Order: sequence, then C-alpha cells, then structure tokens
Amino acid sequence: MKKQTLANSKPLMGKIIDKQEECDDTYNFLIDLPVKNKTAKPGQFVMLWVPGVDEFPVGVAGYENDVLELGIAKMGPGTTAMLAKNIGDFVGIRGFYGKSFQTPKNINHLLIGGGFGMTPLKFLTKNLIERDDNLSIQIFEGARTKSKLMYLDWLQNLHEKDQIIFNVCTDDGSFGYKGFPTVALEKFLEESETPSVLYVAGPERMMKVIFDIGKKYENVIDMQMSLADRYMRCGFGICSYCAVDPTGWRICVDGPVFNTKQLEQISDFGVYRRLDTGEKQRI
Amino acid sequence: MSLITKIGSIDIRNPLILASGVMGTSYSTLQRIYNGGVGAVVTKSIGLNSRKGNPNPSVFALNEIRSAINSVGLANPGYQVFREDVEILVKNHVPTIVSIFGENENEFSEILNGLKDFPVLAFELNLSCPNTEKGGIQIGTDSEAVFQIVKRLKSETEVPLWVKLTPNVSDVIEIAEAAVNGGCDALVAINTLKAMVIDIHTKQPILGFKKGGLSGAAIKPIGVRYIYDLYERFEDRIPLIGAGGIMSGEDVIEYLLAGASAVQIGTALGVAYPENMIKFFISKIKKYMRENEFKSISEITGGAH
Ligand SMILES: Cc1cc2nc3c(=O)[nH]c(=O)nc-3n(C[C@H](O)[C@H](O)[C@H](O)COP(=O)(O)OP(=O)(O)OC[C@H]3O[C@@H](n4cnc5c(N)ncnc54)[C@H](O)[C@@H]3O)c2cc1C
Ligand SMILES: Cc1cc2nc3c(=O)[nH]c(=O)nc-3n(C[C@H](O)[C@H](O)[C@H](O)COP(=O)(O)O)c2cc1C
Ligand code: FES
Repeated sequence: MKKQTLANSKPLMGKIIDKQEECDDTYNFLIDLPVKNKTAKPGQFVMLWVPGVDEFPVGVAGYENDVLELGIAKMGPGTTAMLAKNIGDFVGIRGFYGKSFQTPKNINHLLIGGGFGMTPLKFLTKNLIERDDNLSIQIFEGARTKSKLMYLDWLQNLHEKDQIIFNVCTDDGSFGYKGFPTVALEKFLEESETPSVLYVAGPERMMKVIFDIGKKYENVIDMQMSLADRYMRCGFGICSYCAVDPTGWRICVDGPVFNTKQLEQISDFGVYRRLDTGEKQRI
Repeated sequence: MSLITKIGSIDIRNPLILASGVMGTSYSTLQRIYNGGVGAVVTKSIGLNSRKGNPNPSVFALNEIRSAINSVGLANPGYQVFREDVEILVKNHVPTIVSIFGENENEFSEILNGLKDFPVLAFELNLSCPNTEKGGIQIGTDSEAVFQIVKRLKSETEVPLWVKLTPNVSDVIEIAEAAVNGGCDALVAINTLKAMVIDIHTKQPILGFKKGGLSGAAIKPIGVRYIYDLYERFEDRIPLIGAGGIMSGEDVIEYLLAGASAVQIGTALGVAYPENMIKFFISKIKKYMRENEFKSISEITGGAH
C-alpha cells in the first residue's frame, strides 16, 4: 500500500506556531496540523483557508513531525489576510494535493525558480541534500531585486557548506549577477557533459522560455515544471476550472508538476490560462 | 447483452452520463471523460454572461460521508465564449448535452437560440441550482414558470429538452408535471441538496458563500426516492435520468430499478483517475446484467415497481 496522504476533507484547522519575515512582503509560516503520520512530497500543494476571507493554493515548503511549512507572498486580499495572521491563530488546510517532482539518481538536479515558485523548490532541495546519489544540486534563483529573493540566507548557507551550488541573480544587479537565471543555466548546460533534470517553478512565461532553452540540450533528460500560475477552486479534480487544453488534465490532480512529454502536449502552456469564470486569458 | 441506452428519441452507448458542473467547464475535460467511456456528457451550466461565481472556499469534500459540498454559484464564461467549446465537442462527435440556466424565460430563450445551431444531443435546463441568490431556485420551485419556459423553448428548437429538477421543493411531482405538460423530453433528478458546514474553531461557515449544495453518497437514497416517485407518477410517459450520489455500478442499477432510463454521475468522477472509475462502473453493470440475465438496460428500468 502506498503511504496515505491527508484524507481529502473539509479544511482541517491548523495552528500557526511560527511566523518569520522571509523577504519583502513574504513570510514563512509553520503550521501544526491535527493529523499524525501523514506525508507530503515536494511539488505538492495545499488549499489554505483564511477563515472568512478566501481559500487559495499554496505550495508545500516543508513537512516534518506534522508541522507544515508555507511561504506566502503578498498578492491581493487573501494573501494579505494570511500575512496578518499571527502565532496562535488557526487557518484551514486541505491537501496534500497534486503530483510531486520525480528525482532520478546520478544526475545534476537543476532547480530554477523565482517568487513563490521557490517554496516547492525549498522542499525539494531539503530532500535532495539528504541523498548521496546526486551528481550535483544547483539552484538558479532570480528576482527583481535583492529584497525579493526568497530563502537567500538559507541557500547561501548551503552553498557555503558545499551542499548545493547557488546561482543567484537580480534584474537590477542589487545581488548576484545582473540578468535572468537562464544565463547561468545555459552556461552550465553548455559546459556540462553529464545528464541533468530541470525542476522549474515560477511565472509561466519564464518557464516557457526555460522549456525552449532546455530542449536545445541533449544532456537535459527531463524538465519538470510546476504550472502554479493557474486558478483553482477545489484542488482535488472535481470542478475543472484549472484544466488545460487539449488534454483535459487538471493542474490540481494531474499536475501541478508536468514533465517534458506532458508539457509538449499542453497547448495552453505559456500561452493562456483560465479565469474564475472559465474564460481564457493570454499569459 | 447491450448497454445501448435509449432516452426518448436518442441512443447513447451506455447509461452513464457525466453530470453538469463536474469536469465540465471546457471542451477538453468533457472530451476526456467521453473518451474515458461514458455514454454522453453534460456541460457546466452556461448562462447569458460570464460569471465569477462565489468566493472560495467553494468546493470541498466531506470524506466521512463520501460526499462533497459546493457553492460554485454557476461560474461560467457565458454562452458566446462557450460556443467555441461546444463547436469542438460537436466536431469531435462527443455526444454533448448543454446545460443552460437563466433568470427568466427570455434569458433561457436567448441562450438556447445562441447555441441551437450546433447538433447537440439535448439541452438540459438547470432550473434548480441552489447556489445563486437570484435565478435557478425560484424558477425551479414555481410550476407555472417551469411550464412557460419549457413550452416557449420547445417551440424554438427541435433539439430534445431535458429538465433538471431540484430536490429543494415540497412537491416535486407538481413541478415535474409542469415540465412534462410544457413538452420536455426527459426529467433529470436530482440536483444538490441545500447544506452547509460550520467550523467550530473559528465559529464560521466554511464556504465563502456560507451556504451550498450537497452531492455524493449522502444524497443517494434521496435521489432514488425522487426517481421512484416520478416513475410511479409517469411510468414510461417520460424518460427519467437519475442523479445523486452514484458511487458505484451497483448504485446505477439501483437508480434503474427505481425507474431511471439512464443516470448522471458527478462527484464520483471528480477523482484523480476518472477513466478507471468509469471502467469500474461499466464492469459492475455488466456483471449484474449477466448474473440476472438482463439483455438490455431498458429491461432493468422500473424493475422495483
Ligand atoms: C499550485 C499553486 C501553488 C502556489 N504556491 C504558492 C506559494 O507557495 N506561496 C504563495 O504565496 N502563493 C502561491 N500560489 C499563488 C497563490 O495561490 C495566489 O497568490 C493567491 O491565490 C492570491 O490570492 P489573493 O487573494 O492574495 O490575491 P487576488 O487579488 O485574489 O489574486 C491575485 C492573483 O492570484 C491568483 N489567484 C487568485 N486566486 C487564486 C486561486 N484560487 N487559485 C490560483 N490562483 C489564484 C490569480 O492569478 C490572481 O490574478 C500558488 C498557486 C498555485 C496554483
Ligand atoms: C462542483 C459541482 C458543481 C456543480 N455544478 C452544477 C451546475 O452547474 N449545473 C447543474 O445542473 N448541476 C450542477 N451540479 C450538480 C450535479 O450535476 C449533480 O446533480 C449532483 O452533484 C448530484 O450528483 P452526484 O452526487 O453524482 O454529484 C454540480 C455539482 C458539483 C459537485
Ligand atoms: S481546482 Fe478543481 S479541478 Fe482543479
């Protein structure tokens, strides 16, 4: 039997036990869940209910001893209300939902992200560094400016300990090199002679650019991208507001992580997404 | 033994129909469920204009009773945008029933006329959604309004008209009678039942709209009773399509025995692998037919009376 994840249920009320500012307008939360012996995998997400305000999907940044780690970036009313929550407050959690990243052995793990896309990549990094069958673990993080870089201290620390290689950049050059993560990524891919898998989470337009780059390199054996730029209602596959064309895959259960083969079949990828009405909108 | 199912003038390959609102907001999910093996699919209920629906949470599962609650509130892109999806479905030969809703007779008529150039299998009139403040629920509980709408739309199209009934009325027979007298081609029962869930920690209703509709296993005995009552009243004068809490092939048989000609399945298909679920349903129905020596679906219909 596969180890069961949280039963699909109404929101379970978890208590916030820690809250730390992560970077500009972004906080890290630790939430104690009232369930035992459940598991989550990197790439999965939960539906977070801020009582009386909104419910929305957020990636799992970590899960240990029934304590869930989330990283929340301010967007609109829902995330703003979450950022106003404090230690001791209750929020509702449904999940764990969706498919996780698949991590082969003996390859270079190239994790590329920006913004709240860094949350599942943090969880993935934590899992990868516990293994001894990696060629390398490399993080490529980009943001507009230094104060928007998520997990900067944590990643720098791992870099110093030689557990990962951290490639960081900003649009304005305030930290790391000036430019996009694709620059360092392409440089690595050009020089590398060993197989790599790309794990990408961030704005969909950026992911599409990376996808096109990755396809040029034979040593890229797979690309796994988290399509998190999508509207969700149910999170478990019943409503279909998150579905992509023409396959009818639902991001919440058939994704959010899709591999190269699947991404090639999704005609929406990088082109349009659906709104809460079901209408399409250009990305 | 054949699973081919007759609903009035139309035939579908088996008695399973995807219910409105589940996996039904785009052509691609509908196509996927049809490829998965159902006989036909019903679209999400489509209205005149695009609609955001209700705030989230608007759908969640109640696993302890194998059910779900929703207050999606008819979020849809509006019929003009949805035409594109219908066009692809029809082109790909997916037997499609378009569910439509309106706040009054004229709205229903405008939507129907805006879509009737497609050779769809049927239009399903959603007179019964409990998740909107205006619209559905009032119309579906007013027998005179139901009669007028059905009569008017019937005069405007040759395409079969199905009427979906709400269980949230004291006398469903009266409403059904009005729809039949208006000339509808089949009755569908039931839509979701009024329900709500309150969180005891924060003392707040969980749904963003506070109130919603219950679907899934919890409502099955209620749906079976509605179909049984309707069959008692109409016998084979009007085909009945059973819905509500169908979670297995055995549940399908139960609805057929109560009097349904076909069934609609919603909540049970909102799972990770709907294709497997459909296969499972079909194999159970075949097994039952073999063991009980039924040659066709219509032989089962009404068997409990
Ligand atoms: C799989 C997935 C994982 C995510 N992980 C994280 C995370 O780890 N941390 C984080 O801060 N954010 C994450 N998000 C994004 C987060 O869900 C949105 O930022 C949030 O919904 C915004 O709500 P709001 O009320 O603050 O803003 P609004 O003003 O309501 O919306 C701002 C934008 O957020 C998006 N959005 C709004 N509602 C939804 C919804 N129900 N589903 C999806 N998108 C929505 C839309 O693009 C909208 O334009 C994730 C999204 C997805 C789909
Ligand atoms: C998420 C969700 C959305 C629904 N939306 C609609 C809708 O738009 N129109 C409609 O007629 N019924 C809608 N329904 C009701 C279903 O079509 C069906 O009648 C009901 O759920 C009972 O069947 P079930 O128990 O198999 O789900 C919806 C149900 C669910 C769960
Ligand atoms: S969010 Fe409802 S199907 Fe994905």
